[in-house]
Amino acid sequence: MVQTSEAQTEKPQTEHSSRDRILQRIRAGLRTVVPEPAAAGSDRVIVGPTINEPVIFEPVVDPLERFQQECVGNLMECALTADSAASAQQLSKVLQSLPEGETFVQDDPLLRLLIDLAAPERPIRWSSQGAPGEASQATVTLAEALIAQTGSILVTASCGGRGASVIAPCHIVYATLAQLVPDLATALSRISQQRKLDRNSFACVISGSSRTADIEKILVQGAHGPRRLVVILQTGT
Amino acid sequence: MSQTAAQRFLQDAALKSADLVHREIIQRGMDSYDSAHLKGRARIKDWEAARQKCQEIKREAINHLDRYLLQFEEKVISRGGHVFWAANAEEACTYVKNLATRLGVRTVVKSKSMVTEEIHLSPALEKVGIKVWETDLGEFIVQLRDEPPYHIVTPAMHLNRGQIAKLFREKLDPGIESDDPVDLMAAARRILRQAFFAAEMGISGANFLVADAGVVAISTNEGNGRLCTSVPRIHVVVTGIEKIIPRLEDLAVLWPVLATSGTGQGITTYSTLIGGPRQPGEVDGPEEFHVVLVDNGRSQLLADAEQREVLHCIRCGACLNICPVFRHVGGHTYGTTYPGPIGSVLTPHLAGIKEFKHLSYASSLCGACSSVCPVKIDLAHHLLQNRRNATVARTTKSSERLMFRAWRYAMLHPRMYALGGWSMRKALRMIYSLGLAGSILDPMRVWNRHRSPVPLPSESFRARWRKGRGAN
Repeated sequence: MVQTSEAQTEKPQTEHSSRDRILQRIRAGLRTVVPEPAAAGSDRVIVGPTINEPVIFEPVVDPLERFQQECVGNLMECALTADSAASAQQLSKVLQSLPEGETFVQDDPLLRLLIDLAAPERPIRWSSQGAPGEASQATVTLAEALIAQTGSILVTASCGGRGASVIAPCHIVYATLAQLVPDLATALSRISQQRKLDRNSFACVISGSSRTADIEKILVQGAHGPRRLVVILQTGT
Repeated sequence: MSQTAAQRFLQDAALKSADLVHREIIQRGMDSYDSAHLKGRARIKDWEAARQKCQEIKREAINHLDRYLLQFEEKVISRGGHVFWAANAEEACTYVKNLATRLGVRTVVKSKSMVTEEIHLSPALEKVGIKVWETDLGEFIVQLRDEPPYHIVTPAMHLNRGQIAKLFREKLDPGIESDDPVDLMAAARRILRQAFFAAEMGISGANFLVADAGVVAISTNEGNGRLCTSVPRIHVVVTGIEKIIPRLEDLAVLWPVLATSGTGQGITTYSTLIGGPRQPGEVDGPEEFHVVLVDNGRSQLLADAEQREVLHCIRCGACLNICPVFRHVGGHTYGTTYPGPIGSVLTPHLAGIKEFKHLSYASSLCGACSSVCPVKIDLAHHLLQNRRNATVARTTKSSERLMFRAWRYAMLHPRMYALGGWSMRKALRMIYSLGLAGSILDPMRVWNRHRSPVPLPSESFRARWRKGRGAN
């Protein structure tokens, strides 16, 4: 029990008094010395982050192959395309399979070009016009990166905002092979190095379509977010 | 006279273990978790190394808790967010309530957060006329039933589809015919969709608070957490101070390990990072972002040299799933926010050892919990320490202390021990032969009430040992 001199310094509740009291209690508690447990297998010498660290995850040898495999496991669709014309064609195919309605698209020159080719006649709401509407049928965005290890796409607020990847029943991501990174560690350290989170209030590693298993542990695809997550992965220029 | 928590526990445990429908549902749920969990673990090349790494990350974080919390706070404030430090449940609830009232909030959408359960936030908001929607499917179901979550990861795992369909018909729409999980999810989605777009405030928990990046990490599968934190104009995160981790890169291990231990997934569908309100130039997002850091007894655990590591817990639920006691008595029997082994260890610290010391005995000490914990908390031994702490603090009954004193005396005096054994055998033989086994006169009543008596040996173990028959 840590009962320091709080009793005398008890003041009327302000934001500040609790903050300081909690910090005081934490610091008082941390003065207790907790012996480091003799780590099992302590023959491991801790020299640096790379020396003698056991390999936790199997290294990703072929990122593209792994990404495709993981996509299948994550119940998402991944279409490889050779060039932007093929990507536009693929996008058009996906959009045509969807019900009538507005498509929300991240306002980016690349996607403007692609939409012009793929679906010139569909009603489009660009991210520059505001957040996606409740009734959007699909959203089309770019990604910051694709992660092979977990079959994920990494988006930030710059990719059309927060709602772009969750409001519509179908989320289509247009990415290039150069964006594919082998694993989570690489993706996260890049975000750190490029200080992406200083400029974005939001980022998300998305690994498949929205789902639940809350009823009898039975997997149901399409809970509150998209039922379909489609990655159009362009391998050429 | 109202029941004590211990009496309630015993009563509910007896009822639940005999409830065959409940047993079947839990058995099936746990079987499917077991196979997913094992498959998930097999995907990680060196599971033990992963646990070791996670333990190191959390130890580093907790051992420098003040520093990392301040680093986190500074970053959040620099993006225009607010950080409130709540010493206890009341302070946390009051802050959120005042915020909601001040900003004219009438509807709140919540994504899953055990800390909000711990501090009873929803009732506090409802008392001032705010409508609170739980939006995680499992939480939504238990909210409709007006009961607490059964399990920290799968709140409605004690119900089958038939029971849920019936509940939905009664509470939501009498027209729901099917009991197919797909249709039940669709019905919930329809209703909650309106709530998401009507709500002024979204409340979420946090799985991790990342110090160096100054972001909260939230893992969800359904996307409800995403909607709660994207659509309403205010986002409030309510979380415990112990959720801190030092670096963003730590998530490269913690995310997969949490998902594997929680559900067997390689990673949760939406692993979200949020660091503030909508920034200039961003398309959408809340205008206000508040993080409520809840202490509520946690800082006291730091001073406990034996049990500080309990604060490493990442709330994956693996110890609940593997616990033979949990599997039999179920989550609600514990009568605590956090059930299962972690709850039995933690609750006496948060809610008082006197009232909750019985939970230390809700364990067979098999150690299964310690063996699965992804951050290597030695739960089984902490249960033993809590037993000792309860005794040292003299919270035990005087009759119990007297009995143990007699036992100690007998153990130190072999002749007394032998005499005790001899008279007990005689007495029990007589009681059993009179057909009084399990009656109020039976010293073995607790056992014999529900079971047939264990056959009495003709002689003592010591006598057999002397005759050289000790081995069989």
